[in-house]
Amino acid sequence: MAETTTEAKPRKLLPISQPISVLPTDVARIYTHIHPILILSLYYLCFPSLVADPVTTLKQALAPLAHLQITYCVVCLPPSKGSSTSPSTSSATPKKKKVTFAKPIAKPPASLKSRIIPAVFSLFLSLSLSAPLLTVILILFGAPLTTHFWHNLLCATHISLLGVLPLFYVHGVDARMWREISGACLPFDEVWGGLVGSILGAWLGAVPIPLDWDREWQKWPVTIVTGAYIGWFVFRYAGGYLLRGKRIEFD
Amino acid sequence: MSQRLSILTLTIANLLIPLAILIFATGFFPYKPFIAGRASYGDGKDGKNDNKYGTAPFDKVVFMVVDALRSDFVYSNHSGFTFTQSLIRSGAAMPFTAHATSPTITMPRVKAMTTGSIPSFLDVILNFAESDTTSSLANQDTWLSQLKDKPEGKLVMYGDDTWLKLFPSVFARADGTSSFFVSDFTEVDNNVTRHVPLEMRQSDWNGMIIHYLGLDHIGHKAGPRSPHMIPKQAEMDDIVKQIYQAIETEKHLQSTLLVVCGDHGMNEAGNHGGSAEGETSPALVFLSPKFRTISGGSESPLVVPESSFEYYTTVEQSDIAPTLAGLLGFPIPLNNLGVFIPELLAFWDDDVKLHLMQQNARQILDIVRGTFPGLPFDGTTDGNGCASLNSDGETLDCLWSWATKSLDPPGYGDGAEALRAYTEFSKRAQNVMSSTASNYDVGRLHIGIVLAGLATVACHTTASTALSESRSSGLWTSSVIILYGAMMFASSYVEEEQHFWYWASSGWLAWLFLKQHSTLPMGGFWKAWLSVPLLAILRVIRVWNQTGQKHAGEPDIAKTLLPAHNSILWLLVLATYLDVVQRLSRRALPWTSRRVSFAASLALGLTALSFKVDFTKADAPELLDGLHLFFFLRPMKEASLIAQARALFIGIMALLLLSIFPVINKRASQAGKVEDIAQPPVDAGMLTDEVSALRPLHDLFTLFLMTQSRATNIPLFLLFEIQCNILDLVELSGVEMTLTSHLFQYASFFAFGGSNAISSIDLSNAYNGVAGYNVVAVGILTFCGNWAGPLWWTSATALLLSKRRNQGRRRRWFEHVSVLTAFVSSGVLSVMLACMALRTHLFIWTVFSPKYLYSMAWSMGQHLCINIGLGSLLYWVETS
Repeated sequence: MAETTTEAKPRKLLPISQPISVLPTDVARIYTHIHPILILSLYYLCFPSLVADPVTTLKQALAPLAHLQITYCVVCLPPSKGSSTSPSTSSATPKKKKVTFAKPIAKPPASLKSRIIPAVFSLFLSLSLSAPLLTVILILFGAPLTTHFWHNLLCATHISLLGVLPLFYVHGVDARMWREISGACLPFDEVWGGLVGSILGAWLGAVPIPLDWDREWQKWPVTIVTGAYIGWFVFRYAGGYLLRGKRIEFD
Repeated sequence: MSQRLSILTLTIANLLIPLAILIFATGFFPYKPFIAGRASYGDGKDGKNDNKYGTAPFDKVVFMVVDALRSDFVYSNHSGFTFTQSLIRSGAAMPFTAHATSPTITMPRVKAMTTGSIPSFLDVILNFAESDTTSSLANQDTWLSQLKDKPEGKLVMYGDDTWLKLFPSVFARADGTSSFFVSDFTEVDNNVTRHVPLEMRQSDWNGMIIHYLGLDHIGHKAGPRSPHMIPKQAEMDDIVKQIYQAIETEKHLQSTLLVVCGDHGMNEAGNHGGSAEGETSPALVFLSPKFRTISGGSESPLVVPESSFEYYTTVEQSDIAPTLAGLLGFPIPLNNLGVFIPELLAFWDDDVKLHLMQQNARQILDIVRGTFPGLPFDGTTDGNGCASLNSDGETLDCLWSWATKSLDPPGYGDGAEALRAYTEFSKRAQNVMSSTASNYDVGRLHIGIVLAGLATVACHTTASTALSESRSSGLWTSSVIILYGAMMFASSYVEEEQHFWYWASSGWLAWLFLKQHSTLPMGGFWKAWLSVPLLAILRVIRVWNQTGQKHAGEPDIAKTLLPAHNSILWLLVLATYLDVVQRLSRRALPWTSRRVSFAASLALGLTALSFKVDFTKADAPELLDGLHLFFFLRPMKEASLIAQARALFIGIMALLLLSIFPVINKRASQAGKVEDIAQPPVDAGMLTDEVSALRPLHDLFTLFLMTQSRATNIPLFLLFEIQCNILDLVELSGVEMTLTSHLFQYASFFAFGGSNAISSIDLSNAYNGVAGYNVVAVGILTFCGNWAGPLWWTSATALLLSKRRNQGRRRRWFEHVSVLTAFVSSGVLSVMLACMALRTHLFIWTVFSPKYLYSMAWSMGQHLCINIGLGSLLYWVETS
């Protein structure tokens, strides 16, 4: 549904963001491919008990998911440059059609400690800010309000850890950046692709629920969580390669 | 494409749509011809219907129908039928579950029980067009006419007036009751019961029909677990007792058969019309002291697996007709497809048993011959290995041979085997003849599909210009078309269609949010956030009425929350009426003083509210429990509801005419002046609200739609109004507006409680202001009552589109209509393809046929008459 193009039309809100690249180390380049496999394996292992008891399973899976995502951020992604400075080298109007990638962050990684602290901070933000917000969004989209509150909260937390945590890590809390994010104007990369994919997947995950197959996995929120994980996986790669640098086109 | 050519193409597309629908419908719902005339004994050349064994055990019948008497109401542990259950234990009552085929509504069911045939789906339409004479059974062969034709035959009837409509001038004495208000649990039944003792003393009749409606009303109102249910069952049981004891004691009644049955059952929400097991499983009990001679009694109450309704032996509802023919000794009705219930054959010795079954089989054979004209059915084919044949006709032919050959040579054949063979033949024939694939006119189905395809192609060429302007809206539009089309092939998505529209609408609103957020200028960000309240209201609307199949009857706002807190309900209703009145008072009658228009609006609003309160008092009194406050709002409670409704409609009409004509005149004179001075024409968008002709029209239309809605749904109009006002602030392009309107029209239909099942048709407001059976008026009011949401959004869309200033006005409306036509024609095409491809599917009569009827209403009613007809009129009024 999202038409994409590299052409940067003049916008009212000029997006200044650039696609993120994986850190230029061998470990990062390898782990960025191992990570999604680990995440999907975690999901696959949890699936039977997710169907049997969603709340407990989603709760128990939070810790491993958070660990994996933090590890991923620390190993593979460049941390944000603090809250106030926008990336200095990026120009507000990318004139060239070919966007040059990874130039601003091609430096070798900073010390481990200076990467772990923002990662933990991102975890805190994604649990306290984006998880409640995503719960509200889930409910606005039709999640059962009165009967499945914990299901919704945990489902939103999973989406938040999957999609939003790395975004906090790489973009920090820069206001302008987040205005771009809330308008979905970021260029695709594997982080932004992950968020778009998990939300789109969660939305599409509602499709099989009304079918009269009477399967146990059709119950709330199994399909939503499944959609989010699969969407995250697909769009993570799509954003990292196929769509890289393109933006969602609204016109 | 030039302007003129595209208008022509669009017109052709819109003319093709109804044509395609009607041609397809005639092929899909063929009119079943019936064999005219009456069956009589000894009229057949091969001795069929011969009554040489005239030993019928009964000479009179009391046929007691209890509407919606589901099997478990009589047979289970939680039943009020204690006396009937004691008779079942003693053997004086023979219990069955009588399978009713879909559509499970009263008229087709009565037709099935009396003629023994399987009524076509066409009867659903005829059931709503009740005065239609083609549905009359006066000229058909039924067990009623057979009873009446007997010497001394005389019939009496008390209860549901459906019988009087189906059998005009058949009954010697009758008193019909109509099921006007389902809130009436007692009066409607007392009107029947008071005749029973009198008739029990009369000896002049040989057939008495009583049809009770109270139990069905309780179901519709409060579901099968209502606290009223058991007392009502006990009341019915008491009538059974009364009649049974009369049979035992009165001499002239000693050979009387009492039949107690339901015409259909009900689902867990208390509704019927569809094919859930509860709806298709009514009870059927034959009672008479004579049954003790053939039956040792059965266990009662009986426990069956949960959510099963199969008690004792399950028979077909049409089996009632031949069984009564045998038990009362008259020829089997000509169009019968029922099979004599084998358990009741025990009255006779083997010879007569065989004779009865043979008679039954021969009568069915006449119908089978008509359906398979190419096959011999003369007993010449090999009668062995019938099960291995793959064509239905050949199997029947083979079974018939088996039956005739087992009697060879006459008088020496194997009687027991022949009995088995005839039974097998009849059952198989019943199965085949009532199955679906037999009589589609496939040629017409193809023509319909081709025409719908042409319409789709035609309107897509005109819509493509509008859609190509914005890639994202074009993509959304085509996604909605494709997904909706694909959905029509899955029965559960058809049943749960509401989810699609809620799901797509919320996705679309989120998309609008993102789009506005990224394209609006920095200072206008707040406008993007307008999508959030839109989404929040949509979230409330979608839980207003639980609809569909899977979750019908679960807690929601309209049926659970508001009845429990009825003061909140009436405050919301009051707020909705006040909102309309205040808007109306500012815009109605623009040529008078403010004070006059306020007085007129207030008077009209009060009339409308007072009618709604009075109507609710009659239709759903529990919603007014403990609310004496509101009774001062009933200034007209002395007047009949019909008079009130008429006064209200006349008031709305008068205010409407008085409000718009002056404005149009004024505008016409303005436009004339403008032309004189040769200035560019005034942009009508610059008109202030005071001169807007559409605004008061829209408000009056809202008032009319509120009159046509249930009290619990009225607050939805307030929510719609808020949504509409928000949409007015959001800057949407023409196509975006059209798509929003389309999504909201469908979503609102389901939010009002609509679905794709016949059982969800709401007839409660169909008779507002109508005294008799005026098909046209009742049809229009039914449509307005059920499509109130979509109708409202049509008017709101005309209002919203007419305010946009950035484009040629006529062109914008043309694009709106062409995109809507694209939606509708492709929707119709996919429904037709689904019905065509799945015409042998198990669910064809229960899911896809009702869906076809609904899509007829959507495309011919909502699209052609409302979106194009009324919408264009409103748009023209506003912009001319």
